[in-house]
Amino acid sequence: MSESLVNFLQVSVAGFLTLCIFSFLYKDNPFYRLAEHIYAGLSAGYYVGLIWHAVILQQLWMPITRDGEYTLLIPGIMGVLLFTRLTEKLSYVSRVSIAFVMGNTAGISIMQQLHGYVLPQTGDTISGLLGAGSWFATLGAWIIFVGVISTLIYFYFSKEHRGIFGATARVGIVFIMISFGAHFGYTVMGRVSLLIGRIRFLMFDCVDSFKHLIN
Amino acid sequence: MSSFLSKQLPMAVAFFAGFVMIVAFFSGNAFISWFSQQQLKWITIVGGFALLLGVASITRVSLAHVRQRKTNWPYKVVLLAFLTVSSVFAIFQGTEQGTVYDWLFQNMNAPMMSTMFSMLAFFIASAAYRAFRARTLEATILLITATIVMLGRVPLGRAIFSYLPQVTDWIMNYPNLSVQRGIIIGAALGAASMSLRIILGIERTYLGRS
Amino acid sequence: MASRFLRIITNIDRRVIYAAVSLSVVAPLIFKFPMPISISPETVTLYERVEAIPDSSTIILTFDYYPSTLAETEPMSIAALNQCWRKDLKIITLSTVGLGGPSIADRVMATMAEQFGKVYGVDYVNLGYKANYQAVLLGLGKSIRSIYPTDFYGTPLDSIPIMRGIDNYEGVEFIFIVSDNTIVDFWVGLVNAQYGTEMGAGVTAVMAPKFYAYVRADQLVGLLGGMKGAAEYEELVGAVGMATTGMGAQSMVHLMIIFFIIMGNIAYFIGRREK
Repeated sequence: MSESLVNFLQVSVAGFLTLCIFSFLYKDNPFYRLAEHIYAGLSAGYYVGLIWHAVILQQLWMPITRDGEYTLLIPGIMGVLLFTRLTEKLSYVSRVSIAFVMGNTAGISIMQQLHGYVLPQTGDTISGLLGAGSWFATLGAWIIFVGVISTLIYFYFSKEHRGIFGATARVGIVFIMISFGAHFGYTVMGRVSLLIGRIRFLMFDCVDSFKHLIN
Repeated sequence: MSSFLSKQLPMAVAFFAGFVMIVAFFSGNAFISWFSQQQLKWITIVGGFALLLGVASITRVSLAHVRQRKTNWPYKVVLLAFLTVSSVFAIFQGTEQGTVYDWLFQNMNAPMMSTMFSMLAFFIASAAYRAFRARTLEATILLITATIVMLGRVPLGRAIFSYLPQVTDWIMNYPNLSVQRGIIIGAALGAASMSLRIILGIERTYLGRS
Repeated sequence: MASRFLRIITNIDRRVIYAAVSLSVVAPLIFKFPMPISISPETVTLYERVEAIPDSSTIILTFDYYPSTLAETEPMSIAALNQCWRKDLKIITLSTVGLGGPSIADRVMATMAEQFGKVYGVDYVNLGYKANYQAVLLGLGKSIRSIYPTDFYGTPLDSIPIMRGIDNYEGVEFIFIVSDNTIVDFWVGLVNAQYGTEMGAGVTAVMAPKFYAYVRADQLVGLLGGMKGAAEYEELVGAVGMATTGMGAQSMVHLMIIFFIIMGNIAYFIGRREK
C-alpha cells in the first residue's frame, strides 16, 4: 500500500470520527453514540496497555526478576487487593491499600500546602508593602494585599458579613468578579483554540491527504 | 467482616504512611529518607492498579449491560471490542510508535477527544448570548472584564485600541492575581487540615461504608 | 418595530450561533490576514530564562497534557523544542498524564528530533508515565531510577547515555512544564518549593489565570497562556507555527462572541423597559 493511501485512510478515519462527534451539535444520534463508545473503549484500553508496560512490566516484573527486588511484592499485593472492591463480600480487604495511598498523599500534601503555597504566597503578598522599588510597584503590592485579604474574608462564612467585615467582603466581591471575568475570557479563548485545531484538521489535513492521494 | 481488617488496620496504615512522609520532610536521616522513597515508589505502583480497577469496573458494567440486553446494548459491545483490541495489541505488540495501539490512539482516540472538548466553544458562545446579562453591578463588572480580556488577548484587540494588551496584563497581574492568591491560600489551608484529619483518623469517609 | 427587533434578537436559534462561530473560524483560515502579536511580559521572562541556560545543559520538558488540548499545548512543546535544540540542550521528557501523554511525547519528540538531527538516548529521552503524580514528582527529587527504572520503551536508564550522572533534580538545569491541568501546582508546590529547581510553564488558557500568582512569587519564572501564549513564544523563537496562524480565527470568534453578548444584553434591556 502506498504511503499516500495509508495517510489518506488514517486521516479519513480521524475525519469521520471527528464529524461523528460534531454531529451532536445538531442532536444526539447513532453516529455520535457510536463514536462516544469507541472513544470510551479505546480510552480504557489505552490505560490497560500503559499500565501493563509502565507499571506491571517496568516497575514490578523487571525489578523483581532481574534485580531481585522482592520488597516490590508488597505494593504488587496491595494493588491486587484493590480488585476486591469488585466483590461486595471482600471489598473491605481493599481498605488497607486505599489507606496506604491516602495516608501517603495526606502526608505529602500537608507539607506541600503549607511549605509550597501558604508560606511563599503569603510572603510575597506582604513583602512589597513597605516599598517595592517604585511607587507604582508599591501601589501594586497594596492592591494585591487588599485583594487577597478581601477575597479571604469574602469566602469566610463562619462570621456574618456585617460592619467592617461586611464592607471588606463587598470589596472582595468586586475583586472576585474581575478575576472571574478574566477567567471567563480565558476560558472562551481556550475553547475557541480547540475548535480552531479541529476545524483546521478538517479543512487542511483531510483535504491535503486527499490531494496527495489523487496526485 | 473483621473490625481489625476493615477499620483499625487501615487507619494505622494511613497514620504510619502519612507520618513517615512528614518526618521525611524535616529529617535528614538516611533510613527515613530511604524508607519514604520506598513508600513513594510503592504508591506509584498501587496507583497503577487503581487505574486498572477503573477499567475492570467499566468492563463489568458494560458486560452486565450486554448480558441483560438493556437499551442500546450494541454500543456496549463496540466499547468492549475496542477495549479488547487496544489492550491485546498493547500487551503483545507494545505501545511505541508504529504499533496498532499507537495507531488507534493517534488516529481515533486523540481526534475524538479533541473534538469532544472543542464543541464547548459552541456551547460557551450560545450560553454567553443567553445568560451573560448585566443584571447587577457585580455581573456588569464581570461582563466588562471578560470583554476586555477577550479583546486584549487577541491581535484584533490591539488593532482596536493599542493599550488593550497592557490593560489586560494589568488585570491579570493585579486584581486577578490577588483573588487567585486568596483562593490558593484558603484552599491550601483547607487541604492541609483535611490531610491532618486523614492522618489522625478523624476523616475516614475514603474507607467507604462500614 | 422595536418589538419585532426584540423578538428576533431574543430568539436566535442555537444553530445560527453555531454556524456563525464556525464561519468565524473558517473565514480567517481561508483568507489569511497577518495579525501583529503583542507579547506578554510573562512570555518574555520565560524565553529569556531558557536562553540563559548554558548550552548542552540538561532540562526536563514535560508533556502533561491530554489529547483534548493539543491545539493549545502542542505548539508550546514544538516552540520550546525549537528553542532548546537550537541551544543543543539535552532533554528529558516525562508525562504525568496517563491518557495520551506518553504517546504524544513519543510522536512530537520523534518528529522534532528528525528535523534537528537529534538522536534518541543521546540528545533526548522519553521516560514515559508513572501513576500517582504527587509521588512521582517528589520521588524524582531523590532518585529518578527508583521511580523510573526504565524509559518508556523498557530500556534500563543506566544504558541510556543522556541519563548518565543524572539521578535527581540536581542534574537538571530547568523544568519546562507544558500542561493542561493542575499538575503545575504540584511542580511548584513540591519540586520548586522543596528542591529549588527553576521552572516555567506553558498552560491552557483555562488554567492560566491561576498561575499568575506563582509567577509573581518567583515560583515560576514565566508563563504561556493558551494558544495566544504559544503564538507569542513562536514569535520570540522565530518559528511561526500552528498557534500564530490560528490568531486570525481566534480574533474573529472572540469578536463574534462579544457581538452575541451585546445582542443578548440589548434584548434584555429593551425587554426590561417594555415590562
